[in-house]
Amino acid sequence: MMNCCVDALTSQEERILQKKGQLSPRKRINKFLADFRDDTPRIDIQRAVYFTESMRETEAYPMNVRWAKAILNVCQKLEVVITEDELIVGTCGGRGRHGILYPELRAGWFSKGLRDTQKKKAFRISTEDIETLEEKVIPYWKGRTAHDHYMARLPQETREVLYGEDEYGATGLMQVNDNVSSVLNWSGEYGKVLTKGLKGIKAEAKARMDAINGDLTNNEYDKLPFLEAVVIECDALITLAERYAAKAREMAEEESNPVRKAELNQIAENCSHVPANPARNFWEALQSQWFVQMGYKLEQAINGGIAMGRFDQYMYPFYKADKEAGLLDDERALELMECLWVKIADFVQFNATNAGNFWEGYAHFEMLTLSGQTTKGRDATNELTYLILRSKKEFPLHYPDLMVRLHSASPDRLLHETANLVKEGSGFPKFLNDEEIIPALVNNGGTLEEARDYAGSGCTEVRMLNKDTYMPVGANINMASALEMAINNGFVKYGTNYRQLMEPSIPVAEIQSYEDVMNNLRETYDFFVRHFMKRQTALEIANKETLAAPFMSMLHDLCQKSCMDIHQPNIPGSVYKDPGDVNINGFGTLSESLAAIKKLVFDDKKYTLEELKEAARNNFEGYEKIYQSVLNAPKYGRNDGYADEIAREVDEMLLTTVAKYNTPYGPKHIKFVPVTSHVGMGGKMGATLNGRKAGEALSEGISPTQGVDNQGPIATLLSIDHAKSRACANSFSRLLNVKLTPQIVMGEAGTRNLMHLLRSFVDLKLWHVQFNIIHRETLIKAQKDPQSYRNLIVRVAGYSAYFTDLSPALQSEIINRTEHEEIA
Amino acid sequence: MEVLDANKRTGNVFNIQKFSIHDGPDIRDTVFMKGCPLHCIWCSNPESQSGLPEISFHSSKCIGVKSCGDCIRHCPQGAICPDENGKVEITRDRCKICEVCQDTCCATAMKVMGKQMTVGEVIAATQNQMSAWRANGGITVSGGEPLMQADFVEELLRQCGAMGIHTAVETCGFAAWADVSRVVKHCDLVFYDVKIWNDEKHQKYTGVSNRMILENLQWLSREYPNLELIVRTPVIPGINDSVEELEKIVDFLKTLNHLTDYELLPYHAFGSNKYAQLGRAYELTGAEALSREKIESWNQQFRKELFGQKRKGGDGLCGKSHP
Repeated sequence: MMNCCVDALTSQEERILQKKGQLSPRKRINKFLADFRDDTPRIDIQRAVYFTESMRETEAYPMNVRWAKAILNVCQKLEVVITEDELIVGTCGGRGRHGILYPELRAGWFSKGLRDTQKKKAFRISTEDIETLEEKVIPYWKGRTAHDHYMARLPQETREVLYGEDEYGATGLMQVNDNVSSVLNWSGEYGKVLTKGLKGIKAEAKARMDAINGDLTNNEYDKLPFLEAVVIECDALITLAERYAAKAREMAEEESNPVRKAELNQIAENCSHVPANPARNFWEALQSQWFVQMGYKLEQAINGGIAMGRFDQYMYPFYKADKEAGLLDDERALELMECLWVKIADFVQFNATNAGNFWEGYAHFEMLTLSGQTTKGRDATNELTYLILRSKKEFPLHYPDLMVRLHSASPDRLLHETANLVKEGSGFPKFLNDEEIIPALVNNGGTLEEARDYAGSGCTEVRMLNKDTYMPVGANINMASALEMAINNGFVKYGTNYRQLMEPSIPVAEIQSYEDVMNNLRETYDFFVRHFMKRQTALEIANKETLAAPFMSMLHDLCQKSCMDIHQPNIPGSVYKDPGDVNINGFGTLSESLAAIKKLVFDDKKYTLEELKEAARNNFEGYEKIYQSVLNAPKYGRNDGYADEIAREVDEMLLTTVAKYNTPYGPKHIKFVPVTSHVGMGGKMGATLNGRKAGEALSEGISPTQGVDNQGPIATLLSIDHAKSRACANSFSRLLNVKLTPQIVMGEAGTRNLMHLLRSFVDLKLWHVQFNIIHRETLIKAQKDPQSYRNLIVRVAGYSAYFTDLSPALQSEIINRTEHEEIA
Repeated sequence: MEVLDANKRTGNVFNIQKFSIHDGPDIRDTVFMKGCPLHCIWCSNPESQSGLPEISFHSSKCIGVKSCGDCIRHCPQGAICPDENGKVEITRDRCKICEVCQDTCCATAMKVMGKQMTVGEVIAATQNQMSAWRANGGITVSGGEPLMQADFVEELLRQCGAMGIHTAVETCGFAAWADVSRVVKHCDLVFYDVKIWNDEKHQKYTGVSNRMILENLQWLSREYPNLELIVRTPVIPGINDSVEELEKIVDFLKTLNHLTDYELLPYHAFGSNKYAQLGRAYELTGAEALSREKIESWNQQFRKELFGQKRKGGDGLCGKSHP
């Protein structure tokens, strides 16, 4: 009872207080980091210019061939940069931190959007570069972009629900990222290039072309463009690597320092060998992996970044062989890997959208997946797993994103080391639960072996690398708005006004029971889901007409087999469809609001529904009594059956409604991954009946509303479990954020507490969990004094970011998340 | 039939704390029993002292008579009236603890401390936490003084033990040996307070003599040699915060048949605001506590005296080794 409340700091907080800043134990890495934090990312136009230059010349060709030729043009002309002390080389857009542009998606946004970006200063771009785009890029794409095609197919009514007046923004009813990227998230297939080399892949394509050519008995000439595109893509990447080899050789000749000279010669040797050929050692494997990443990045916009896949699995043979041969020690392995992490950190996804609060803090998720199970169902942890965990502790940037797969037989050492890493307080690693995910994937058509080999992707999503082909990007539905419509005859806040979007069957004056409210809610939610399906349909049709991804396709078994581009519909054998999932925002906000209505209006009859609504309309100002009653109504997240059962009922509604509908590409799933859109949506909304004031963020993912889960983290986990309705097999990524104060995890005993929490998470079969361990006071100080806290990293929503890079609204939201602090 | 009756035994519980990490090893649920034979002036849980239910009023939560005043209107005794700050105050001798104010308060500012719960209810309220009770996690019964409700606590711990749940009690040891014995029989771990060596001082600051407490401790160490037994002393500024004082307790501990660990607990004043909520005064105001480092170094020294060089201690883990 007495010995608590020590002033404990997380390791990260201690580093900042001692002004150690971004210190890595490795000298070379430290040099890279010195300027990183102060380098505002630059928008590089090379990819946009060279891509467009080629696309102008190839209009008569099939889309995948055009794409491959355009990428070849980019790879032939892209500036080749090798910076001081680099061991892994290659950049998609010049020196330093940069984002690149994809005019094929939203070129129409560039002129105004990039000028606005200049003013906001989150990215740098010169006026001269904007003018170059206006001359060489933007005019060509008018009427040709994916967004133009999509908007032309979008029903007017749906368009108004999504966009209102702004074709590149959002109303806040649904968060739409249509054509901000070609796909929401993806996990790369690196193993093939590491083991076969691009030459091997090219040879296979050539052999198939030879077999098709001249065979008019089984005429498969429709497959030739795909194979031709494969050959061009392989040449493109090999060309780029050779240009790097030449550059390194040239620099080596001029280099006076013998150590660096040798390094440059080795870089030249590496780049002339990979990715063309199979990698021969750990260093080459890393270099090859980076060229493959560049291939994905140059080819198309992937919002969340291209995930790294099961890195500790496909890199392990190279690591092991080098170590056994005495060519590599752990320090060198760490240095090489961290050179790769720096490359990843330098590439920033730039989002062409007016929708604010979309992904703040330069979010990109090159998620690296660790551990989990082998395809045979055994624990997959190896020495490289632990080395990467160590690197995450010592490498002070939040890239790459780190995901650890846990299962019932995960070794204690893995839990212990990950728990210790969580205690660093940077939000790493996140955890996925094999016990939930593998059965879910099998239920959705994966074989057991494919399911066991899943990789993390995006925030909390997963992917079966050679099974999943779906590309069109889904949207987030604002559930708080759905409730607002349900109890307001279909009126909802729309911009600055209210607008009636539909008419629920029970007029608000006739609502007699909680069941009536739920009845209307089912209808308003159904209204949003139907619009979701219409927009998804428009996007699916527009994408297949306007997009291609020959590089991604050639590395995918199913595309390669059928010779179909991955943007084409219904590729034979393809099953699970994550990027197009119906994404739910404000689950906690809605569940709590319903609990307040049920308890106060219908059970206790303390207030009428009209009284509650009136109080909320006035942001609860002058309605202190109602405000307190609402705040003290039962809350989801406290392992309280009353509120948790309401949450379960909501979950059942979410799943069963979506299960009714299809798009041309098939059925859709539900997920709960807001990234930061819950902040943007909340910003546009008035007060809600759970006591959330106007403008405040909605609840995040499947997490309880910020600040209410005050019964300890086990109670939170139990509520999340209760809310899982298991009504249909279409429930996927359920993002859970649990915030802990350092006191709970202090010392070795605290590490064990965290290990038990993780075991409970696995036992309860929850999809995902991540932890923020930080002092509330520290965050408040950082908000007031951003200069001193520039290095403070917090987990936002499936990703980590510099706290001071976030908007004040998002900062406040993080501060308000519950701290599970024991009360003395 | 007997089991059914035992299940119906009720105890006066004032709080069940989830995810408790300072009341025994690992993650636990701590059940706080109401009522204590001691009235230590530094007590951080004054709501635990009286065996009767009490109303606790959180003035900071109250939204005031201007916006609300429901408690005043609804109190059947007329025991609540506005105070000079626009909030309310309770005339405690009129209050009959009928709970009406608690039920009407929209802001949860009124709280009845103390609830009669059956053994079954307490188990139901805690066992859903079981998944976290790996290793040594489990239930700790604290208070107040658990031994004051030995019937109830004995049955609660017996049932927990039968389910394989790790059990602990925190006691001041002021109880009949028969009650100590029948509760401890179902415990894996006992936290036992020896607060002050000098009996006169003990009487002055806790309200009772320490003779029975020390006797019970001797019996305990003899009769239950396999029990994990941790003796604790809260170090209270101006009362027992000197090496000379504490050394006497240590000398006594050396005579025990067995002891698992000895812990010094630093004083804190976190409970002081609770006194006002209960309409009482906190007498230990202005006391300045010794630093944690100081207390930790004394603790290390005493451990060395008691257990020799081997005993580490102080890492937050409860020791299992015997002297």
